[in-house]
Amino acid sequence: MRLTILLALLVVLAVTSLSCNKDQQPSRKELTLAVVSGVEGDALKQAAADYEAKTGVHINIAQFPYANLFEKEMIDFNARTGAYDLIMLDDPWFPTFASKQFLTELTPLLQKRGQNGPDSDFVATSLAVCRHPYETGALYALPYVGNSQLFFYRKDLFEKHDLNEPGNWMDVLVAAKTIQEKENGMYGYVMRAAQGNAAVADFMPIFWAFGGEMFDAAGKPTVNSPAGIAALEFMLALGKYSPPGYASFNADEVGAHLLQGTAAMSINWPAWISKFDDPERSKVIGKIAFTVLPGYQRRGQAEIGNWLIAIPRDSQNIEAAMDFLVWATSAEQMKLSALRGNPPTRKSLFQDAELLAKHPAYPAQLRSLETSRPRPRTPQWNEIENAFGIFLSKANSGALSPAEAMNQANAEIEKIVQRGQ
Amino acid sequence: MPKSRRLSNAGSRRGPLLPYLLLAPAVAVLLALSIYPLIYSISVSLQTAAGWGLGNFTRLLSDNFFLTAMAHTFVYAIAALTCEFLLGLGLALLLNSQIRGRGLFRASLLVPMMLPPVVAGVVWRLLLNPNFGAVNGTLKQIGIDTESLTWTASPRLAMLSVIAVDVWQWTPFVFLVLLAGLQAIPQEPYEAALIDGSSRWQTFRHVTLPLLKPAILIVLLLRTMDLLRVFDQIFILTEGGPGFATETISLYIYRTAFRFFDFGYAAAMSFVLLIVTNVISVFYIRVLKHETQIQ
Repeated sequence: MRLTILLALLVVLAVTSLSCNKDQQPSRKELTLAVVSGVEGDALKQAAADYEAKTGVHINIAQFPYANLFEKEMIDFNARTGAYDLIMLDDPWFPTFASKQFLTELTPLLQKRGQNGPDSDFVATSLAVCRHPYETGALYALPYVGNSQLFFYRKDLFEKHDLNEPGNWMDVLVAAKTIQEKENGMYGYVMRAAQGNAAVADFMPIFWAFGGEMFDAAGKPTVNSPAGIAALEFMLALGKYSPPGYASFNADEVGAHLLQGTAAMSINWPAWISKFDDPERSKVIGKIAFTVLPGYQRRGQAEIGNWLIAIPRDSQNIEAAMDFLVWATSAEQMKLSALRGNPPTRKSLFQDAELLAKHPAYPAQLRSLETSRPRPRTPQWNEIENAFGIFLSKANSGALSPAEAMNQANAEIEKIVQRGQ
Repeated sequence: MPKSRRLSNAGSRRGPLLPYLLLAPAVAVLLALSIYPLIYSISVSLQTAAGWGLGNFTRLLSDNFFLTAMAHTFVYAIAALTCEFLLGLGLALLLNSQIRGRGLFRASLLVPMMLPPVVAGVVWRLLLNPNFGAVNGTLKQIGIDTESLTWTASPRLAMLSVIAVDVWQWTPFVFLVLLAGLQAIPQEPYEAALIDGSSRWQTFRHVTLPLLKPAILIVLLLRTMDLLRVFDQIFILTEGGPGFATETISLYIYRTAFRFFDFGYAAAMSFVLLIVTNVISVFYIRVLKHETQIQ
């Protein structure tokens, strides 16, 4: 009995190794793509299938949830396996990847194709995050999905209570107070302050608008500047109009409050826009308006959160990968991705009539993207964001005062920066 | 006769080698899967950006996040262990007696234990949601003000919530082991105690408890090791928040290794956790050995 099982296993092994050998024949072109789960990765997956049908290049897809994609890519880079020919990456990861020279520089590859650089149709802020150093350095990726934060508000309630579209954060506070006092069962604002990415993402636009800067010109952390502390004090003031427990909220809870019609305003990402029109989930169809983030001491700026595509340095198929990359980020292909729900990174597509009819928030999205700001560009961003998020969450849950939280956050960020030097 | 001699000769010739040959596969697997990674991780923990040295270990002492996470881990382990043990023992004693429908009780008690911790985490995350969750919904129904009961979002209640979920999930395990222990106790000592006219408390204190001690120590040992390395439920329920209030050492190690990609420091922390777990385990095992020798 055992012998039969053993024999059967051997046969299976032999057959699989034979078929593996067949796949490795050089005549057949093959690319492997690491993509994220969800609508962003699905669009690229679909594009890959189209590309395979068109060119015959076989494309393997390795799809991972957001939480795992970064570690899979890092492990591949560190082990130098060259497992992936193309990777999707979230723009905050870019400084880590680029500073360690994990990615292939794209300009020489573009020059081989007779282009001096990426074409000017890409939104400047989206291209800037693909360069290392930021904006001015060498090009290591191309932008695929053009997310940036937007300000969501209930236009029906704003009209009802004679409120104007909020231009600055003080307007937001007044509107939150008015709506919460006059509407039964309604919270004026909903924010997320779960430690880590959530708290930082909701805080950065306030921090910037109040004149805060995470680092000074010499690279020393300055989150505990008077402007930084004032920004956190403001976040807590606004938190009084946010549903209880927001110190543990993530994007899902914020989305749920907006969909249920129990909160009037929030900062969120464009992926939520289409959900408000889904009659099965939304109680607020047609009632939500989208605009750029409010300012205060300075003009409002959103966090940029673009999905980029890059070619790992250790890929064995750099030329073939570049063919696919250029094709997938062309206006024609990106339009298909946009029709599937991903904001583009090309100006022409934000103005495309067919897309505008489907996505009425595009003008606001383009304005937000063009004025957006990247998270501080440091290879240690993950660690800094984690530490900063912990202290923001502590302040929002009442465990620390804003000044204490910012002082402790500053000390912790300084330690991280020093370790990196 | 000659045949058997030949066999025994062959046996003695192979004798010294055969046991080693038979052990070899197990040793090889152990080396590959356990010893080699252990040694490798020691060498990783001794590497810092500056080169070889004890930098990762000295950094532990000045890392507030590490010290706080360690303290949280102990608070979590001690509180959960105490509750699980007392509840488990109570339930085991209750269901060891002849009460009606005890089969049903026993079966239903085991349900939480059968859920993967991640599923338990997701279920409780929904139940404890301050706005839409069933817990606050029910409390509201019976007229309790739930405005300040934000469970996983409040620095005071978050630790309590994650401990409660662990108690909910793992009390059945303690109960199961202790029930098995109780059922293995023979009737005679009880009869003797009855004849001597001992009270129920005296019987429990001087008969049940000593005879149950091996089972108690085993369950405490297993639960302690599990509690010190808790990860899944907390990661799902609170992600260590709000503001680090429920961050345990495993979560911090995970973040350091797979978010910040500082494997050296993560390995150093893992070692400290390993040593702490070992010291506690050795203590339990010593007590256990001592007990069985007395008996």
